[in-house]
Amino acid sequence: MSAAAQRRLIVGVGNAGVTVLDLLALEEPGLRGLVVVNNDPESLAATVVREKIEVPPGEPSDGFLAIDVDFGKLAAGASSLVLCGGLGGATGSFLLPALAILAKSSGITVAACVSLPFGFEGKRKSELADQALEKLYAVCDAVAVIGNERLSGGAPSTAAVGEAFALADRTMLACTKALHGMIITSGPVRITRSDMKSVLGLSGARVLFGSGKASGANRLHEALEEAMESPLLIQQGKNTPGSALLGTSTVLLLLQGPSDLSFAEVQAAVSGIERVAGDRCQIKTGVLASQPAGSPLTLSIIASSGGGSAPETRLQLAPSDAQADSPVVAVSKEKKSPSITKKSPSSLPKQTQGTLDLDNYQKGRFDKSQPTIVAGEDLDVPTFLRKGIKLSQPRRS
Amino acid sequence: MSSDQIFVGLEIGTTKICVVVAEGKSEDQISILGVGETPSRGIRKGEIVDMATATECVREAILDAEEKANVEIGNVWVAITGGHLRSLNNRGIHVLPQPRQIEQEDLDLVQTNAKEIAIPPQNIFLHTILQSYHLDGNRNVTDPLESEGMQLEADFHIVHGIKTRIHNTLLCVESLKLEIEDVVLGSLASAQVVVTQHQKDLGVIVIDMGGGTSDYLVYQDGAVRHSGVLAVGGDHITNDISVGLKLPIARAEALKIQEGSARDPAESPGGVITLRNDPGFLGCDIDRRSLDTVIHCRVREMFELIRDEIERSAPDVVGLLGSGIVITGGCARLQGIAEVAADVFGQPVQVTSAKNVGGALQTFENPQYSTAIGLTKYARLITRDMEPVGLLDRITRGIGGIFGRRGA
Repeated sequence: MSAAAQRRLIVGVGNAGVTVLDLLALEEPGLRGLVVVNNDPESLAATVVREKIEVPPGEPSDGFLAIDVDFGKLAAGASSLVLCGGLGGATGSFLLPALAILAKSSGITVAACVSLPFGFEGKRKSELADQALEKLYAVCDAVAVIGNERLSGGAPSTAAVGEAFALADRTMLACTKALHGMIITSGPVRITRSDMKSVLGLSGARVLFGSGKASGANRLHEALEEAMESPLLIQQGKNTPGSALLGTSTVLLLLQGPSDLSFAEVQAAVSGIERVAGDRCQIKTGVLASQPAGSPLTLSIIASSGGGSAPETRLQLAPSDAQADSPVVAVSKEKKSPSITKKSPSSLPKQTQGTLDLDNYQKGRFDKSQPTIVAGEDLDVPTFLRKGIKLSQPRRS
Repeated sequence: MSSDQIFVGLEIGTTKICVVVAEGKSEDQISILGVGETPSRGIRKGEIVDMATATECVREAILDAEEKANVEIGNVWVAITGGHLRSLNNRGIHVLPQPRQIEQEDLDLVQTNAKEIAIPPQNIFLHTILQSYHLDGNRNVTDPLESEGMQLEADFHIVHGIKTRIHNTLLCVESLKLEIEDVVLGSLASAQVVVTQHQKDLGVIVIDMGGGTSDYLVYQDGAVRHSGVLAVGGDHITNDISVGLKLPIARAEALKIQEGSARDPAESPGGVITLRNDPGFLGCDIDRRSLDTVIHCRVREMFELIRDEIERSAPDVVGLLGSGIVITGGCARLQGIAEVAADVFGQPVQVTSAKNVGGALQTFENPQYSTAIGLTKYARLITRDMEPVGLLDRITRGIGGIFGRRGA
């Protein structure tokens, strides 16, 4: 691990974490610093991620003792760490906070992208997840929580269980990449660790996340549109893209991709967000334009709404705050228990198909026209729908 | 310019394209000679989205008007609208080196100074409408020409919009070999014929509710204080009905016109409306209260948005209106619309069409035609004002012509 100095690690924990890292490795084969940690030998045998830490089977707390030295060394040689995994299962709920504490003790930046379980996974899981999440907030510099229940709110009720999990995986993948990207932004247009902390450091806050990817002449607008349509950015009861951003105080915006990203495009992205979030919203922008010209542009938006205060326990942690260039993001995702079998990435269904169709239908003839947006509301969507008024349907005679 | 000049107003609307041919009479009066009309295609929310189709529709409307009025149309006045139009008030100041009589050149300079404001780079000025002059601190001087003074100030209401979108309308008309006299904000044209100078002095809000947009204009003390365009109109009501009651657009439109009402659903008489079978459409029973709910929600929201926008730009003005609200445009024919507006604004509301217009075609005194008729009236006022300054001045005005007349 000596060559690992200045490594930026992304660590997938538990079956959920392994699935996400698999997707990541397939999507970006060149990305280094991927590590998976799991207590399921089968899952570790199947993963394409090369660096693996196997936790001995049994109670995770016992298994942890067997790997803490290894992981400690790994962490000490890195400058930042993004954890990703599902909370609620035995593995993720224990290992995620434990690894975060371990990493933090060596003074590096730690962020986590975690998912909370679906409602149907039971109350016990939900409680475990909440406890683990509290611990994560106390340790990590930033925690992005993806509530699977809320995520699935946008999907049609007929969606297959597998589809729901796949959507959660894709969202977590995008979020993990965004957190990693935010940590490694440098130069004049960057997101600092304190920016991330201000948005993702509040326990109990609802994390709003959306991302989009596009290439071609209109890439910025297409990516922005896709990001705004993410279910986590749509306020419940409304169908306007990006409506949940209205009234948020700070939005993190990350643009990743081609080196020919223009100033005008960055400006268009900021004004696009301002249009839905309002003028008072502060937009912290980070740009990572290192890939060759013409490669696709990825746009990620992270914000939070509501939420309480930053946990006091944070103060007891190692003083890594001084390293401004190594922000820590903790993303906790609890989307599935370790017992659920891994899906192959190629069989993943399209992410938001159901939502999109519904939206177009609601706009009727204005589907293709430029939307009329006033104060964050899309006025092309019928008023009674936006107000949630029920109508009695016509009876066919 | 003789008093019996012919003026042609062209409104490229979302629902219909309307051409009004009118003859200027004495005393600012106009008399309608003929009206040409075609249903629109290729227009959404007041703006052209399909140039070839829209141009063809304009051609048909022009030919129709030429036939009905028995004139050949060469020059037109074009109304413009669209959600991209913005407005603001600004004051221009011009200080003379020493006190002397104010000349026309000074008035032009103060207007130029008023336009020295930052508007987005892609925008151009559409109108600079005079509100009032101040001469050496003497407020509300109606006409400072030939008065002596040193510091001349003037308040203007400035309307600007995205250049390319305005140009598209012009391109469409120019491709038909028609010459454009000027481009006029739709609501400003309508206001010429739906309210009187007396109403403008007392204070009035003119709302022109068309198919694709709702344009509004606020008059206070005889001058335009605020203007705006909300890109929501009658089409949205039809679309809401279509989505909410699962009807085809054409059926929804017919239902809106025949049975629609903006009244509060709590006051709805209830019952059902039976739609008959048609080829391709299975008949059904519509609950009247649901229909009323859909329309009421939308209409109320439109008025609330307009009210909020006016209150934001010109606080207190709504409470001080001496002459209430005047609604015109095709959507004004919706039953119960005046009651909803009265409830939202807390002011008396009048639904009206073009007034003080002569001619054989009295039937065209329908709120739908207010803008096109208003254009000819506007043209009549403008050309009368320009008579003393001559043709050269008119040519130099170009787009975004200056409507120097107070109160417009």
